[in-house]
This record gives sequence, structure tokens and C-alpha cells, in this order.
Amino acid sequence: MELLLYVALFSPLVGSLFASLFGASKKNIIAGIVPSLLLFTSLVASSILLAFVLSTGQHVKVEMMTWMATGDLYIPFGFLVDQVSVTMMMVVTIVSTIVHVYSIGYMDHDKSFNRFFAWLSAFVFSMMVLVMSDNFAGLFIGWEGVGLCSWALIGFWYHKESATWAANEAFIMNRIADLGMLIGIFLVYWNTGALQYAEAFAAMPGLEHATLVWMGIFLFIGAMGKSAQFPLHTWLADAMEGPTPVSALIHAATMVTAGVYLVVRANPLYDLIPSVGIFIASLGAFVALFAASMALVNRDMKRIIAYSTLSQLGYMFVAAGLGAYWVALFHLMAHAFFKALLFLGAGNVMHAMHDELDPFKMGGLKKVMKGTFIMMTLASVALAGIFPFAGFFSKDLILEVGFVEHHYIIYSVLLFTAGLTAFYSFRLVALIFHGEERYKIFGVHPHEAYKFMLIAMSPLLLLAVTAGALKMTYFEMVTAVLPATEYHVHSAATYWIMTIGTQLFVIAAIAFAYKKYANSSVKVPDGTSAIENRLCYKVLWNQYYIPYFYEEYFVKPYRELSSVFWRYVDMKVVDATVDGIANILYTTGEKTRVMQNGNLSTMLRWMVVGLVVLLSLAVVFGLAVRHSDEISLFLSGLGVK
Amino acid sequence: MLEPVNVTLESLNLMTLTPMLIPIIGALLILVIDLFKSDLHKSLYVMLSILFLFMDFAVLANTSGVVAQNGTLMGVFNVMHIDGLALLSQFIIVIASMLFIPLALTSNSFHEFSYPEFFALFLFMISGFQFMVATDNLILVFVGLETSSLALYTLIAMHNRDKSFEAAVKYFTMGALAAGFYSFGAMIFYALTGSVEINQIAAVLSANGYADIAYLLVGVVFMLAAFGFKLSLVPFHTWAPDVYEGASAPMAGFMSIVPKIAAFVVAMRIFEFLVHSGIVWLEVILYIFVVVTMTAANIWALVQNDVKRMLAYSSISHAGFVMAAILIGTTQANSALFLYWVLFTFTNLGSFSMLWISRQKHIPIYQASDHSYNKFAGLIKTAPVAATIMALFMLSLAGIPPFALFWGKFYMIASAVTGGYTILALIMALNSAIAGYYYLKLIVYMFMKEPVQGADLYVFTNNASLSLRTIVGVAVMGTIFAFVAVNPLLEFITAFVYNSGY
Repeated sequence: MELLLYVALFSPLVGSLFASLFGASKKNIIAGIVPSLLLFTSLVASSILLAFVLSTGQHVKVEMMTWMATGDLYIPFGFLVDQVSVTMMMVVTIVSTIVHVYSIGYMDHDKSFNRFFAWLSAFVFSMMVLVMSDNFAGLFIGWEGVGLCSWALIGFWYHKESATWAANEAFIMNRIADLGMLIGIFLVYWNTGALQYAEAFAAMPGLEHATLVWMGIFLFIGAMGKSAQFPLHTWLADAMEGPTPVSALIHAATMVTAGVYLVVRANPLYDLIPSVGIFIASLGAFVALFAASMALVNRDMKRIIAYSTLSQLGYMFVAAGLGAYWVALFHLMAHAFFKALLFLGAGNVMHAMHDELDPFKMGGLKKVMKGTFIMMTLASVALAGIFPFAGFFSKDLILEVGFVEHHYIIYSVLLFTAGLTAFYSFRLVALIFHGEERYKIFGVHPHEAYKFMLIAMSPLLLLAVTAGALKMTYFEMVTAVLPATEYHVHSAATYWIMTIGTQLFVIAAIAFAYKKYANSSVKVPDGTSAIENRLCYKVLWNQYYIPYFYEEYFVKPYRELSSVFWRYVDMKVVDATVDGIANILYTTGEKTRVMQNGNLSTMLRWMVVGLVVLLSLAVVFGLAVRHSDEISLFLSGLGVK
Repeated sequence: MLEPVNVTLESLNLMTLTPMLIPIIGALLILVIDLFKSDLHKSLYVMLSILFLFMDFAVLANTSGVVAQNGTLMGVFNVMHIDGLALLSQFIIVIASMLFIPLALTSNSFHEFSYPEFFALFLFMISGFQFMVATDNLILVFVGLETSSLALYTLIAMHNRDKSFEAAVKYFTMGALAAGFYSFGAMIFYALTGSVEINQIAAVLSANGYADIAYLLVGVVFMLAAFGFKLSLVPFHTWAPDVYEGASAPMAGFMSIVPKIAAFVVAMRIFEFLVHSGIVWLEVILYIFVVVTMTAANIWALVQNDVKRMLAYSSISHAGFVMAAILIGTTQANSALFLYWVLFTFTNLGSFSMLWISRQKHIPIYQASDHSYNKFAGLIKTAPVAATIMALFMLSLAGIPPFALFWGKFYMIASAVTGGYTILALIMALNSAIAGYYYLKLIVYMFMKEPVQGADLYVFTNNASLSLRTIVGVAVMGTIFAFVAVNPLLEFITAFVYNSGY
């Protein structure tokens, strides 16, 4: 089993290194195929581990080596496969294998094909380190690793200004949050004396409540950055500058859910501080609504899906914050499948439309892209939460959690958001696939993606459709390590009313979306229609003016401040000091180099001078020794001891 | 009527002389061959020299086995004194010489290597150095010193440029003065103790409790001046930059290594027992020497415009750095000295060889001197491999891990700290930082500047014959993979140093 663990962990690394061998050379299909195969190996290994954990209920734990041992600090490089991490491993390896295969087709014409796979596999490796580590230090390494790979992949087309900007934005936002995370980890170590999950959590019940609250808050700040929760959410939508498979893998299925994973992993901590949990849940509910509202009016296909991801992450945090960790993890898993599918479908559409992202400029694509059409529709159905698709089981469960825990405000917000979710998802589907073929105006000739790309996507489709059926098996498995609370609405009548009501509400939202956007009267908006001039439209369109606010009140003052520091502190104080020291050394050198004037007589004189100085010192010392008594007498006369 | 002295051959222990006799025989053989047939190619002499050096090495290896078992070997009326220090330094001398000689095989023919005498003198010089380290008799040290020095002066002059003659004459004149200092110092020691053997001197001095401290200090001053000259300690260093510049590049590299290790060993023998017996004056003076040499040479190196002169000053600074070991005087420090010098051998010989490879017969107009910095400008574009190798040596000299000299500096500073010289350790570290500047300056020139218009793009490729490449390759390997060898090497060295009582 240990060997399997290593295989699962290191195959992506090998793949990455292999692809990077070709980094500087021309596109080589091998650089795509080998990492994909290695990821498949990792998937197989993870599946065997899953089967093992599922059948025996045991954990696989290895200590690879001592990573740090200085003084009291002892951090072994350990890895742990338990029910939680094996879930994450499965999600990561399944989605990444599919995305890798898909990318072979998607990146076909890109000249940096090899580099893409090197980074993509490096990402998977970091993600595996993140989820498999058995201590906070390893988690943090993975955490930073995925951040780095995400940066490189968002800015993959670095010649585009917007891509590099988005990459830097994501990186900087995450650094801010990572500081919080780091402080949280320090607090954990400082107070519990351990970084291993098991030991740290075991020590926590004995700590003061306030300390625990700070730990919980700081760790959650880290989670907020990685999972793009308000107010650190702006980077996620901009991260869509990266290639679409990257969006599918990193910014939908895996990396952004790391925050949720962290909260789930730290469940013993959050159980002790329910107040922080309520805060997390409230923030999650807020983000769910907030992001969904922005998705309503957006005209960028990928950004709509990104906002949807944000909204769904909000759902997960609600569940995690309310202590329903297994529900959060379950939604994480189901979401990974249908969201990745949605993104890959969007990738197909983008390819077909020559990188056009505005769904208003498409329409009627179902005739040419039947496969993609079916997949995206089903993924949207799953996202909307229609029975019997995956989203129904996982998302409705979160609503039930809110209801059962008597957080009715959260419940209503989430219910309303579910309607919005259905609306914007089908707005997108309707605009892309139904209605008139508006793309003809722009002279585009769409075509379906390669067949193997569609085949690669099909496992995701299967999982998006059926993952819900795994609910009970899943429940039994993860509750071995997570709190096993089942959420049942007490009376059967209420339950049925709720469920059917939600379904009807969602279906109505879908129908409305179809009615509004699937007809032939949809035009490409040109900024003149009445709705575009309404205030609420403008607010949503400008993302509540938050990016503007950040620019005006954080970025600009910061730049001003930096410039002041640069001009006055750095140039005048720091640089001047350093230059001063250097100049002193330099001028000393220049002045004294005349000693070396090449004249033999001078040189000989220097030698003799040296000798004479030494001799006189020796004489002085010799005399001092000989007359030491007199000298000490003399000195004592002067009052020197 | 004098009694005839009866000496048995066994008591002479002539085996102790073999390592020195081998290069002498080699030199004589070369001279004899030249006498009979004068127009032979230089490669024959190179091969002969290497052959004899190799035999020398084999004998040394054999002797080291004996010494490791039986302790110090004495021979020839106790004049020869083969201990761990003698062996370690001879190993360094012979290995450095073996790395040096093949550099004669450049593709361009240079003047000095066309004389067979060059090789004969070279071998005489080696045996001189070997005598110097393998005795504690001040007279034999003097003989060895002079044999090697006289040979060295000639070798420098054979480079056959105006600057070389100048360098040789300067070196010779100042060397004569230093020799005077040495003999004066030795005389005072003899007058005080009635012996010219260092261990006898030490015994007599400690027996009478250093009664004549004033006279002793005068003797020490003369010795310090003499070794200050040989080790190029400030202010006795003035010869070094000019001589390095005048000598051919590999000769300069050789001079920065081999004569100095020989001088270090003798200095260790003379000064350490004095430091240990609590002569505060000497400790203070050595401290000043170490700090001033390190720092001043570093500061001068900053302002050089010629890479070779920069390396000359840097070698002075390195010598000052290593001199600290003699001040500290613990086994750890002395072992660190040898370790440092082994690693320095590879790196410094490598960097001087790179200069040698870039040697031009005629200096182009845009260059102020033979190896001015702008000759290396933009080297990464014209000769990427050469630039990388040169950068590697510079990084090693600057003490950047994991390259060779980092370990030398590391153990040296560590020994200073454990020896209780914390401030000295700090000064050493600061100096390494200053030194970083001028080594990196060359890297900046090579990697970040544009090549000078009309520069000869083929300087490096033209001159790099197979043997030169091999030597540079060996130096590169030694520099990169030093971290593998450091621990076993240090164990080996420490065992020898400890056994010889230092």
C-alpha cells in the first residue's frame, strides 16, 4: 500500500519533469501523452487505495523522511491516506487525467504545448502533496505549489498583457491570504507544539477558547484566498485568462476547493469554535448569492462559469461552517465533476468559435456541436440540482442542513440562489446552443471538437449524472473520520414540500431562462437596450464596482506609498548607506593602490618599512616585559590599575 | 686527529630522500636528452615531467602508508622530518604540478615551452619545495627555499615579454632581501638556542622559560618578514600583482598555490609553537597580519581593471584568510588550512587556466591589458561554455555553496569560532562578502554586457587544445563535486595533521 501511495503521489511529478525536458523544444506529442499516462497510473493507484480504505476502513500512513529537525522543531515528511484525503485524491486524479487527455487536443495548435503539460502535471503533484500531507507544513508546501502552478498557467499566454496581469493578481491575492494561513499555522504550532494533524488536534481541546478562535480565523483567511471568498474573490474571474483546461482543472475542480478541504480537515478545530463556523457559513451564503447575481448579466462565457464556481464554493462553506463536513466534501466532489465538464464544454465552444467568449455572438450551435451541446446541458442540469443528477443530492442536502440547523436566513438565501443558479446556467446554454445562428454575422464557421476530446469528457458526464447515487456509500465511508450527523427534516410532509418546491422553483427558473434567451429575438447587445441602462444591471455588470474600489482605494494608494518609500526611504536612506559603504571601500582602494606603483625601490622600501615597524613593536614589547614592574608602579601612580 | 665518523646506511634512512630525488633525476634526464638531441617536441618533455611527477606521487603514497603506521619518519641525521604535514603538502605540490604541466600544450606555441630547460627547472623547483616542507632544519628549509625560488625566477622570465623580465627581476631582488631576512632570523634563533632544528629550538626555549624574549621577538620579526614575503602578506605583498601579471597565466596560478603551501607548512612549524607558548605579541601581530592582508587585498582587488591582477589580489586575500589557521593553531584549523588549499588548488588553477586559454599573441586595441575586463564582455554570447566555466570558478572563489571553496571557507570560519576567535570569524565572513563583489563583477561582464565590436570570437576555441580542456575539465569537476569529497578528504587530512602533533 505504501508503494501505491508513492506511485499516486510521484507519478505526476515524473510526468512534469518528463514534459519539462522538452520545454524548450518544438511541440512534441509525447510530452502530452506520457504525463497523461502517468496521471492515469496515479488514478489507478488512488483507486486501489480507495478500495483498500473502503473495504478495511484502515488508513495508510507513511513517513518518507525527516524533513526538519532543529531543536524542538521536528517535522517528518509524512503522508496520510484516510477517507478524506482519498476522496480528494480521487477527485484530483480523475479530473486531471481527463483534463490532460482533453488538453492534448485543446492545446494542439499551441506552440508551448510541452510547457503546458510540464506545468499542468506539476500542479497535480502539488495538489496531491496538499491533500495527502499529514501535517500543516506539507499542506502549506502543496498550498504554495498549487499557487505557483496556478500563476504560471493563468499567465500561460504571457505575451497577452491581460493574462500576465490576471496571473499576478491571483498570485498577489493568494499571498495576502497565505500570510493569514501562515500565521494560523504558527499559532497551531506555538500552542500545540505539533504540526501533525493528529497531534495538533488532539491538543486543541485543552487550549483557551480565544486562542482557538484566532487559529480558526487565520486558517480560514488562508482558505478564503485559495477558495476566492469575498473580499478576495476578484482574482478567480480574472483567472479565466488561462487556457480553458486550466480553468476546468484548477479554477473549478481542484485548487479552489482546497480552502474547503482545509476547513474539513481542520474539523476538530472548527467544532470547538461554533461561532467562527457560523461566520464561515454566513460568508458562504453571502458569496453564493453575491456571485450568482454577478453571473446573471455577465457576457463572458467563462466568467459566468467562474462566478458559478464561486457561488458553489459558497455553498460548500455553508455546509462546512455548519459542521456538516461530509456534506461539504460531497458537494465538493460532485461539483468537481459537473463543473469541470461544463468548463471543458465551454472550451469546445471557444475552439469552435475561434476564442469568442460572448455567448450573445453565438446561438444555434446545437446543430453543429451535438456532443458538446448534450454534455453542457446535462452538466447545467446537474448544476441546477434537478433530480436525479449529482447536484440534486449534494446541493439540496446543503439546503436541508441549513433548514435542520434552524438557520432559516441562510436557508432562504441558498434557496433563492438555487433559482439564480438555474437561471444563469440555462441563460448560457440557451444563448450558446439555441435561438438564431447569430455567429453567422461574424463570419465564423464552427466545428465540433476532436472525437477523443469528447470521449475523454464522457467519464465526467457519467459521474455528473450518477454521483448522487453514491451518497450513502460515501456517507458511511467518510464518517469514519468526520462527524457523522445525518440531516433529516423531521416531518415527512415538510421534507416533501421542501424538495418538490425547490425542484419546481428551479424548473421555473430554467423555463424562464429558455423563454427569454432561446427565442429568435435575442440580439447582440449594443448598450442601447433599456435593461442595460438600468442601475442594477450596471452594478452587476461592474461586479458591484469592487474591482474599481480595489483599484482606487488599495492599489493606487499603495502605489503612491511605494513610490514615496522608494524615493525617500530607499533611495535616500538605504541606497545611500549601501552606496556610501561601497564608495568608502572603493575610494580606499583607489587611494591606497598607489602603494603599488610598480617601482622596485618603493616595493623594497615597503618591505623594509614593514620590518622596521615590526621590529619597533617588538622592541617596545620587549622593553615593556623587562620593565613591567616599573611600568605598573608608574601606572598605579597615575591611578590606573 | 679527527675521529672518523661511522654511520650505518640504515640509520640514514635514505628512503626519506626518494621523493625529492625523483624530480631531480627527471630534471637531469631532460637536460641530458637535450644535450644529445636538441630539437625534440615539447610534448616529450611534458610527458617525461608528468611521468616523474607520477613516480614521485607513487613514492609519496607509499611513504604516507608507512607514516600512517609508524608515525613521523626521520632520516639523514634527523635532518629529514617526514610527518603528516610534510606529506600532505607534498601531495598538494605534486598534484598541482601535474595539473600545471599539461597546460604547456597549447595550440598556439609560446616561447618558454620550447626550451627543454623550462621543464628541467620546473622539476628542480618541485624538489626544492619538497625539501622545504619535509624538514624542520632551518638550513635545509633555506636551501629548499632558494633552490625553488631561483628556479621560479627563471621560469617567470622565460615567458619572454618585457613585463616578464621586469617581474622576474623584481621578484628576484625582493626575494633576495627576504632571503636575507630569513637567514638573519635563523641566525638569531641559533644564537639563542644553539640549534637550527625547530623542535630543538622549541625545547630549549621552553626549558629556559623564554627568558630572552626581546631577542626572540627580533628573530621572530625577521622570520615574519621573510614568510610575509613568501606568503604575500601585506605589506610584503607588493611583488605579487606585478609578478602575477608578468608571468604567464598558468605560472601565476601555480605561484598562487604551490610556493604558498610550502611556506605555510614552514610557517606552521615555526610560529605555532610560539603562539601556543603564550607569546601575546606574536598573537596580536599575526591577528593584524591576517585582518589587514585579507581586507586590504580585497579592497585593492575591487579597483582592478584587469582580471589577472584582480585574481592576483584575490590570491593575496585568500592567503591572508588561510593564515588565520596558523593564528588559531588548533588541529581543526590546521586541517581546514589543508582542505582549503586543496579546494583552492582546483578552483584557482582552473580560473588561471581559463585566462591562459584566452591568451592572445597580440593585444587588440580596445583592451588596456592582456586580460582586461572588457575582453570578457558578452562572453556568454560568443563562447557560452567558456563563460559558464569561468563563472563557475568565480562563484567557487566567492564561496557560494555548493562549490568547492565554500567548504573551505566554511570549515575555516567554523574552526575560528570553535577556537574562540569570534570576531575574527566575523571579519572573515565580511571579507568574503566584499570579495563576492569583484568576482561577480566578472560574471556581470560576461553575462550582461554586449561583446565589444570586432572582438576575436575564436580566442577560446583556438587556444583550447585537448590537454588544456582536460585540465579545465578536471578543475571543473573538482569544483562542482567537491561536496562529495569534502568529508572523506577532511578525515584523511585531520588524521595526518593530528598525528604530526599540530
